[in-house]
Amino acid sequence: MDIEKVFHMKGGLGDTSYSKNSSLQKRAADKVKHITIETMEEMFLATRPKSLGIADLGCSSGPNTLSNIKQLVDAVENASRSIAQPPPEFRVYLNDLPTNDFNTIFQALPDLYRELKKGKNHGGPPIYIAGYPGTFYGRLFPDDCLHFIYSSNSLHWLSRVPPGVSNINKKSIYISERSPAQVSQAYLKQFQEDFSLFLKSRSQELVGGGRMVLILLGRSGPSHVDRGNSFFWEILYQSLATLGEIEEEKLDSYDVHFYAPSKEELEDEVRKEGSFKVEKVEMFEMEKDAGNYPSYGMAVAKTVRSIQESMIAHHFGEAILDKVFDIYGRLVDQELAKDDIKSITTLLVLTKLL
Amino acid sequence: MGIMQILHMNKGEGESSYAKNSTVQKQIITVASSILEKSVLDSVHKTHPKSMGIADLGCSSGPNTLTVISKIINTIYAASYQMPELRISLNDLPENDFNSVFISLPDFYSNLKKEKGIGVDECFIFGVAGSFYGRLFPKNSLHFVHSSSSLHWLSQVPPALDKNSGKHLNKGKIYISKTSPDCVLKAYLYQFQKDFFDFMRSRADEMVAGGGMLLSFMGRSSSDASAEVGCHQWELLAQALMSMVPEGLVQEEEIDSLNAPYYAPSPEEVRNIIQEEGSFLINHLEAFEISWEGGNACDKHDYDDLEKLSRGQQVAKTIRAVVEPMLVSHFGREIMDELFTRFGNLVDVYFSNTKAKHINLVISVTRKD
Repeated sequence: MDIEKVFHMKGGLGDTSYSKNSSLQKRAADKVKHITIETMEEMFLATRPKSLGIADLGCSSGPNTLSNIKQLVDAVENASRSIAQPPPEFRVYLNDLPTNDFNTIFQALPDLYRELKKGKNHGGPPIYIAGYPGTFYGRLFPDDCLHFIYSSNSLHWLSRVPPGVSNINKKSIYISERSPAQVSQAYLKQFQEDFSLFLKSRSQELVGGGRMVLILLGRSGPSHVDRGNSFFWEILYQSLATLGEIEEEKLDSYDVHFYAPSKEELEDEVRKEGSFKVEKVEMFEMEKDAGNYPSYGMAVAKTVRSIQESMIAHHFGEAILDKVFDIYGRLVDQELAKDDIKSITTLLVLTKLL
Repeated sequence: MGIMQILHMNKGEGESSYAKNSTVQKQIITVASSILEKSVLDSVHKTHPKSMGIADLGCSSGPNTLTVISKIINTIYAASYQMPELRISLNDLPENDFNSVFISLPDFYSNLKKEKGIGVDECFIFGVAGSFYGRLFPKNSLHFVHSSSSLHWLSQVPPALDKNSGKHLNKGKIYISKTSPDCVLKAYLYQFQKDFFDFMRSRADEMVAGGGMLLSFMGRSSSDASAEVGCHQWELLAQALMSMVPEGLVQEEEIDSLNAPYYAPSPEEVRNIIQEEGSFLINHLEAFEISWEGGNACDKHDYDDLEKLSRGQQVAKTIRAVVEPMLVSHFGREIMDELFTRFGNLVDVYFSNTKAKHINLVISVTRKD
């Protein structure tokens, strides 16, 4: 099964869409916004381009995508004002897999352009926004075309389920205490292949002095079996198993194309690839906020559904979705009542060496 | 609702989608093939790009979109000792169904690799949503621009004819007609002149010297804007709408207040604007006759033969795919089936005593130094 043809966040603006259920992701990005903006300003002052290329890799669809752009453009305009120079022209590339709902982003563009031009001399600097479908595990852009790359909540998605895993990882959908040792080895190997290809590709696309701000789910210790991000997958497995409607073989053969790397695993690949300097690597935990939902469990259930729906529907069919996520929400709340679950997010800031 | 929201072709891949009903537009592309080829080759030879910026303006969705891009890439491939890097932008209004174009890209890229060895690090395809009556791309970033079956769409209904203008100057009609007063023709011409000038001026800023542009859109050969060829499909659509008034299916006022944001210029009108804007040399300007049925009438039955749609009904499908979103926003969805059935019948009658033709203008220009 080709991930590129199946995997996508739930499109549109409906109740179960990613647009309406991505506030957890927004909060993670907001928590490090000041670092993102600082990095952007530093990059601009160091490289002073006349035409600034920005890419959002794994832009998805929804309000987070376009609010990012405004923040980044504002940051550069402030920086250019501070050195009494006119701002550059902006080339913004929004990238995601071809199955992403780009239509919803494009439909929101006229409003974004209006907002960007509001109150500015001559409508402000020229800003050209393009959608670019394709996998970031490989080349996306021409050489030396970008100055700033942003990727939030995307790099924990692998290019594929590691080969062989679906045959041996029977009573789990990710790395769990029931997984044979080869499973976590296979996942690590796939992550290493993918992330190193990501770095190599970006290295040719970024100018020297260009910056990358990467935000992705991670894990704090060497073990995957903890009450961190992997635990949420464990709960999803339990939800599917509890349903009783699914053939055992179907459940046994389902695995997610996900990996939560440790700080060391990330830094190792950066070091090996050699074109980037690690400016910052921070891990943090998000506060559990139910937002508008009756419970945190339900908030997580809606978020995870908008993310996983395409894959689950493809493997198991659509009919089970409502029930599975109903159980999932309740299980999350039950588990939280017993003991904490810590979802770790990693922030990685890299500079392309000259 | 602004033009930006309602001017798009019928989405998806269903029965009445543009994807399944764009054979006329396909024919238009085919007919202009050799002029396109020459225009692409000229731009390569004049600009010698290492990295070539290409844009298709009004790309829509459906099979034609990537067919055009293929043609352009093939031409460059055949002519180049060393392929330049290709930066290809597909542009249309924000409501266009870009998703369906993007989903076909992985297969498109793998065919490129298989057939020509062109890899993903040599050919980059982007989607750019916005109106081409304004700047879309950075200065000096384009070497070749293509636009087919798009420039007859204006940026707006001429303000004097807009439904909010409070006046109904074009009663019983939805475009220029023999019954339209002079002020209607003037309003349409003025809007076209402003829009086309803005289009050319924007492209002038975006294109490098020596860059080429191939434009193909509906026009007319007569100097009279109300001549039949150029207006008649709108005339019959208006007749179909008017026939629904006595039955209470449509209000006459609704028809009076609707005017299509469309204009089919004469070659002179086009030439005048290009010369006035001043940045382009005209290489070629030709008017082609295109049958209302697109290619051969006989190669149309690729779906339901059992239904055996009349020729008029088939033409109605192609027009529906294009104008339905606009008409739905004005009249509501309920009357669409009945409207296009009646329209199809009127087309059948028209076919019985006329060889119904569009005029399609094809213009090739080069950006001056």
